[in-house]
Amino acid sequence: MIKFEDVTKIYPPSTVGLERVTLHIEKGEFVFLVGPSGSGKSTFIRLLIKELEPDRGRVSVGGRDLATLRRWKIPYLRRNIGCVFQDFKLLPNKTALENVMYALLVTGNANHDSKKKALEILSLVGLAHKEDSFPNQMSGGEQQRVSIARAFVNHPPLLIADEPTGNLDPETSMGIMQLLYRINKTGTTVLMATHDREMVDRMRRRVIALEEGKVVRDQKRGGYGED
Amino acid sequence: MGRISFFLKEAFGSLRRNYFMTIAALVTVFLSMVVLGGVLVFVYTTSALLSEVEQKVEITVYLKTDPDPSQEQIDALQAEIQSWKEVKSSTFVSKEEALNRLKEDFKENPEILEGLTGNPLPASFEVSLVDPKTVDTVAARFNGNASVDEVRYGKEIADKLFTFTSQARNFLLGFIVLLGIVAVLLISNTIRLSIFARKREVEIMKLVGATNWFIRWPFIIEGVTVGLFGAVVAVVVVLVLNSVLIGRIRDSLTFMTVPLDAVPYVSVTLILLAVGVVIGAAGSGIGLRRFLKI
Ligand SMILES: Nc1ncnc2c1ncn2[C@@H]1O[C@H](COP(=O)(O)OP(=O)(O)O)[C@@H](O)[C@H]1O
Ligand SMILES: [Mg+2]
Repeated sequence: MIKFEDVTKIYPPSTVGLERVTLHIEKGEFVFLVGPSGSGKSTFIRLLIKELEPDRGRVSVGGRDLATLRRWKIPYLRRNIGCVFQDFKLLPNKTALENVMYALLVTGNANHDSKKKALEILSLVGLAHKEDSFPNQMSGGEQQRVSIARAFVNHPPLLIADEPTGNLDPETSMGIMQLLYRINKTGTTVLMATHDREMVDRMRRRVIALEEGKVVRDQKRGGYGED
Repeated sequence: MGRISFFLKEAFGSLRRNYFMTIAALVTVFLSMVVLGGVLVFVYTTSALLSEVEQKVEITVYLKTDPDPSQEQIDALQAEIQSWKEVKSSTFVSKEEALNRLKEDFKENPEILEGLTGNPLPASFEVSLVDPKTVDTVAARFNGNASVDEVRYGKEIADKLFTFTSQARNFLLGFIVLLGIVAVLLISNTIRLSIFARKREVEIMKLVGATNWFIRWPFIIEGVTVGLFGAVVAVVVVLVLNSVLIGRIRDSLTFMTVPLDAVPYVSVTLILLAVGVVIGAAGSGIGLRRFLKI
């Protein structure tokens, strides 16, 4: 599903984002990307959605080499990758329902089923009653669930989450984790960047640890800090 | 929900939400279009005025007097003049008519003409031209004609007038082009400000997988709406001001026939509306470009 081959990203003039990263993530895996702040987790994710280009090496997603992906095709790549961010990135002037529907509308195959589909996903994340609320009328946990609903509404084969629980209290975070876990159960590959130690330890999933842009550990069923 | 209705809903929703920017852009379009409209009206009026003055360039051909040419010679010359395609019309002024005109001019003090014996005045042709610029060519044709004594057409005045009018036209044209550029810059800047305020929104749309055109359409609809409305109000203001001013000028200028109805209202309206719409759309497109590069 995801292949990084000897990938290096330097931010001008000379800040190391990622350095010589090689790794594979298979279809259906649930992977944690851990590491201290500034270790390169977000850089990894931004390379995946071609928000950044690597300076060296090759990134491919779903068998597609991103270096050969034309600019105008990037939106089509992104529709196949659900994205969840620490700051939710919801459109502030749209309701919960409209935010989810936006992801359906951009694909161009919106129809009379779209609203039904969006409502279904919203009830899946437990927010059916909040469909008409605007982001500023919802708690952080609720906003994050809306953003997960939006990321998942097109049933993308890959879902990536960049510190989705970074702004949330532990209890709410657990709910978000559960949601991602369920999404993974449907066959969707999930990649989650985090530095929530407790969460990672509890889940016993594959852990890739970064430090100063380099992979320092890649463990099949790891915890956050063990060797 | 269809795409088009979605785009329209997006556009009008954001015009309403960002009403401050909407008003700022509207005012900018409005002011630019009023100035452009004012210049257009001025250009149309002055060029009508100038061509009226140009039309007054006339050739007067004095015939010989001692002896006067025969009626056959006069008829032949008249026929020849009228066969030239540069000539719009020619009038024959007989010796008698010339004398009558002179008497008319001096009717306040007829004593000046008392010493006149007989009629020493020459007959003449007054020739007006289709294109006043051909005056030199036409005048030259009378050289060496047996019945012609002298050709007069105010050569220097005509030349000066022509250089002045062509310079005035070039200047005004340049001014309009300059004004257009300033308007586009002003408006695309205003729109860029409004887009800058929504930079984050555009980023989110791109991350969710919206194509550039999907993001662009609502912005362009917004720009066109603002451009159209600004221009409509400007058209109303320009046309009302124009007719008010015409009334004023007519009342104060009695000595001169100014062609004040020279402004073609339909073209001015269409030009302003078209420019408004194009500027609005272009402003949005240009303003948005930087933010789509994610
Ligand atoms: N846009 C940028 N310009 C310059 N340096 C950046 C930029 N984004 C990230 N960095 C640097 O790259 C390194 C990795 O950052 P990042 O991938 O955001 O880490 P993480 O997400 O693990 O906190 C850090 O040293 C950070 O300062
Ligand atoms: Mg980060």
